[in-house]
Amino acid sequence: MLTWRGHLLAYLLTALVMVYLSYRLPGWLPGDFVTAMYADSHVVLGAEQEAALRERLQVDGGFGSYLLALARLDWGTSHAFRVPVSDLILNALPWTLLLMGGAHLLATMLGFVAGVEAAWRRGGRIERTSVGGMTVLQGVPEIGTGVLLLMVFAYHLGWLPAGGGATLYVDHGFAERALDVLRHLALPLATLLLAWFPGNFLLARASMVLVLGQSFLDTARAKGLPPIRVRYAHAARNVLLPMATRFGLRFAFMVTGALVVETIFSYPGLGTLLFNAIGARDLPLIQGIVLFSSLAVLGINLVLESVYARLDPRVRVYGRAL
Amino acid sequence: MGRLSVQELSVTYRAENHRLTALDRVDLKLAPGRIVALVGESGSGKTTLGRALLGLLPASAAVSGQIRLDDLELSGLAETQWNDLRWRRVAMLFQDAAGSLNPVQRVRDQVAEPLRVHRGLTLTEARMQADGALAGIGLDPALGTRFPHEVSGGELQRALLAMAMILEPEFVVLDEPTAALDSGTKGAIGRWIRQAADAGTGMLLISHDLELAVALADEVHVLYLGQVIESLPGPALLNNPMHPYTLALSRSVAGLDTHRDLGGVRGDALYRVLHRHPAGTGETDEHAHLVGSAVSHAECHLPARGCLFTPRCTQAVAECSTREPALEECNGHRIRCLRGGIVTELRLQGVAKRYGDAHALHPVDLELRAGETFCLVGESGSGKTTLALMAAGMLEPDLGERVFRGRPMDSWPRQDRHFLARHIGVIQQHPARAVSHRLSVFDIVAEPLRIQQPRLGRDALRERVFAALRDVHLAREPEFLQRYPHELNLGALQRVCVARALVTEPSLLIADEPTSALDPGVQAKVLKRLLDLQIEKGLTMLLVTHDLGLARKVADRIGVMRAGRIVERGPAVRLLNHPEHPYTQELLRGSFRQPIAAPVR
Repeated sequence: MLTWRGHLLAYLLTALVMVYLSYRLPGWLPGDFVTAMYADSHVVLGAEQEAALRERLQVDGGFGSYLLALARLDWGTSHAFRVPVSDLILNALPWTLLLMGGAHLLATMLGFVAGVEAAWRRGGRIERTSVGGMTVLQGVPEIGTGVLLLMVFAYHLGWLPAGGGATLYVDHGFAERALDVLRHLALPLATLLLAWFPGNFLLARASMVLVLGQSFLDTARAKGLPPIRVRYAHAARNVLLPMATRFGLRFAFMVTGALVVETIFSYPGLGTLLFNAIGARDLPLIQGIVLFSSLAVLGINLVLESVYARLDPRVRVYGRAL
Repeated sequence: MGRLSVQELSVTYRAENHRLTALDRVDLKLAPGRIVALVGESGSGKTTLGRALLGLLPASAAVSGQIRLDDLELSGLAETQWNDLRWRRVAMLFQDAAGSLNPVQRVRDQVAEPLRVHRGLTLTEARMQADGALAGIGLDPALGTRFPHEVSGGELQRALLAMAMILEPEFVVLDEPTAALDSGTKGAIGRWIRQAADAGTGMLLISHDLELAVALADEVHVLYLGQVIESLPGPALLNNPMHPYTLALSRSVAGLDTHRDLGGVRGDALYRVLHRHPAGTGETDEHAHLVGSAVSHAECHLPARGCLFTPRCTQAVAECSTREPALEECNGHRIRCLRGGIVTELRLQGVAKRYGDAHALHPVDLELRAGETFCLVGESGSGKTTLALMAAGMLEPDLGERVFRGRPMDSWPRQDRHFLARHIGVIQQHPARAVSHRLSVFDIVAEPLRIQQPRLGRDALRERVFAALRDVHLAREPEFLQRYPHELNLGALQRVCVARALVTEPSLLIADEPTSALDPGVQAKVLKRLLDLQIEKGLTMLLVTHDLGLARKVADRIGVMRAGRIVERGPAVRLLNHPEHPYTQELLRGSFRQPIAAPVR
C-alpha cells in the first residue's frame, strides 16, 4: 500500500509524463500552421518566405526549456491569434466551467433524486416506464437533441438565442447581464442535461435497488425511523459513491465532452477553442489545451479520491482521509 | 409490563403465479422476562413471524389473524403508528449482524439514532448515552467512533444488542443472534441475553442453533412449513423430543458432548404453495401443494392435506395424508401428530428368563421408540443376547409381556407370525453359524423374501436382493452370488447376514454384535448405511455390543446390563458424559484409550 506521500509522487510523475507527451505532440500531427494558413489563400509564398516563416514559428529549445517556460506560466503564443495561449485558455475556461459544471451538477443531482425515488417505488408503473424511457433517451446523441432544440426554441419559436455565451457590445447592469448569460446558457445546458441525466438516473436507480436489498435497511425500518430518513440518511447515502465516481469521471473530460455542444451553439468555451485551433493547425494552442485538459483529469482524480474516503469509509486506503 | 401475543396468525407471500404459505394459524405468547425460542429449518416461517411482530413484512405479504400488544391490536396499524411502537416497545435484530448496520455511518451514531428520533435527544446527549450503553455491554466506548467494517463480528453483535436495548423496549426479537460467532463470544452473548431477560425483557429467539435454544429458552416452538409442530420446554428439545421432526432436528446438532454421528431430516426441504393450474389442466381452483426444489415438480407435487410432515415422516400411515392433526397437549409438550408423536415400536414389560436355577434375565422393561437406536452394552453373560432374542420374538420369556406395534406378540395367531418376521430383521451373533451351508449367497439373501412374499416375480426378487447387497457393499457378480458360505471370509459372511436382515425392509432391526467380524473399514461403511436407513426409512435399531466406542457413535439411548439386569439406562449423551451407576463408570474407565500398564509386582 502506498503512503499518501508516495501517492502524491505518483501523481507528479504522471503529470510529468503528460507534459512530455504534450511537448512531443506537434511532431506527431500532420500538417502545420503555414500549410493550413496559405494552402487555400491567394497569397503564394516563395520558398524563402515559407522557410523564414517556419523558422520564426519554430521555438523548439528542447524539453528542458519547454518545462521551464511552462513553470513561468509561459505556454507559448498562438499562431492564429497572436496572443499568449494561457490568456486564451483562461478566457474560455469560465464558460466551459459554467456550462459543463452546471450541466454535470444538475444532471447528477436530479438523476440522484429521481433515481432514488424511482428505486423506492420499484415495480410501479411510473418506475417501469421511466426506466424504459431513460434507456432510450440515453441512446440519443447530443448532436441530435442539440440541433432539435436549436430548431425549435431558437429558430421556430425564437425564445432563446441560437449561439454565443452572451450578447456582445451591450452595456448591461449586473442583473440583466446575468439573465443574458443564462438565456444563452439554456439551450446548450438543456442539451447536455438530456444527454447526461438518463445515465445518472439509471445509475442511481440501479445502485439504490442494490442497497434496498440490504439488511441494514430492515434495521433502519425496525428502529421506527421516519420513511424519509430511512430513504436518504440510510439508503441513498450509500448511492453517493457511484454517483460521485461518475461525476468525477465525466467532469474530467470537460474539454472533449463539450466539443460537440459548444460547437453547435458556438459557445465560447474550451471546446470551441480547441475545434478552431485544430482547424487552423495552431500548434501551440492545441498543445496548451491538450496539456491543460489532461492535467485537469489528474487534478480532479486527486480530489475525487479524497472525496471517496469521506463518502465511504471502506475505501480509505491510507488509514485516514487524504 | 405487557404481553405480546399472536393468534391464528397466517401469512402468505404473493409470487409470480402462486402464493407461498409462510405461516399457518400460529399462536404464540411472549411475556416479560421469558425467552421463547422458535426453531426449524430455513423456510419454516421463523423470520416471517419475527417481522410480523414489528409490521415489517414486505408488501407482497398477506396477513390474517391477530397480533396484540397488551390491549392494542397491531395488525392493520398505519405506518406512523407502527413507527411509534418500533424499537420503543418492540425491537428486532436481524440475521447477518455484519449487514445490519449502515456501512457509512459510525457505530455510535447508529446506536444513538433511536434516542434522537424517539426521545428527541440532542446529538451530544444521545452519543453520551450510546457510549454508556456500549460500555454496559462490555465494549470499549472508543469502538463507537469506528465504522462497522472496522469492528469484529462479536463486537458488532454486542453493539447491535446495545442498540436494541437502548430504549429499554418491552420485547426484543433476536433473529440468529449468534450465527457465525465463535463459541466463547457466543457464550458471552448468550449470558447477556439471559441477563436482559431476567431484568424483565421478553425475548423471541429465532435460531436454528438448537443448543442455544436449549440453553436460553424457557419454551421452544418447533416450526415446520409455517405450523407449530411441537411446543416443549427448552431442555426437552435435545433429550426428549416427541415429534419425529423434532427428533430428526435434534439428531442434526453437532453438540460438543454428542458423540453420535450426525443424522438429518429425511428428504428435501419443501415449500407450501397455493396455486391454480392453467385452464384445462386439472384443478383450476386455487389449491394447496407442497413443492420441493431439489426434486422434479411432479415428484414433489404433494397435496397439502393432512399432516404437512407426512412426505418426510418415517412413521406416517395412510390417515396422515388425509386428516390434519391439531396441536394437542401430550406429557407436557404440545405436538401436532395424529399418532401422538413418536410411536413405540416395541415394548417389553417385565420379561424374564431362567435356565434351570440360573437367572439369565431378571424381569426387565424395555421400550423402543420408532426411529431410535438403543444400544445394550455390558459384559458377556449379562443377558444382552437373551433380551435381544426375546425382543426379536425368537425366544419365549418365562414371564412378562411383549407388545410390537401395539399388538401383544405372544397372543398372535400363528398364521400372523410372518408379520413379525417381515418387520423385524435380525442379525445373529455368529455369522458362520447363522447361515445354512447348503445355500448360495443369493439364496441366503433371497430366502426371507421367498417365504414372506412368495408371489414376488423373479426379476423383482433379483432386484431386491441386489439392492440389499449393494447396501452392504457386496458384489453382485454371478460368480459371487453362486458361492457358498464356506468360500467366504467372515467379514463378507457377516455382510451377507446384514443384507439378509434388511432385504424384507424391516422397521425394527435387532442386531447382536453386527460388526464384530468386520474389519474397521467395512464396519464403518455398514454402520453408516444403517444410520442412513434410519433417516430414510425410520429404522428402529436395537444393537447389542460390548464395544462402547461403537455405541457412542450410533446410540440415541444406551442401556447398561449386568447380571441379567439393566443397571442404568438413559440418553447416550447423559449416560456417557455423566454415568451414574458405579458399573457404568467402571465400564467407561475401562474402555477409553489408556495405555495398559503391566501390573506392579
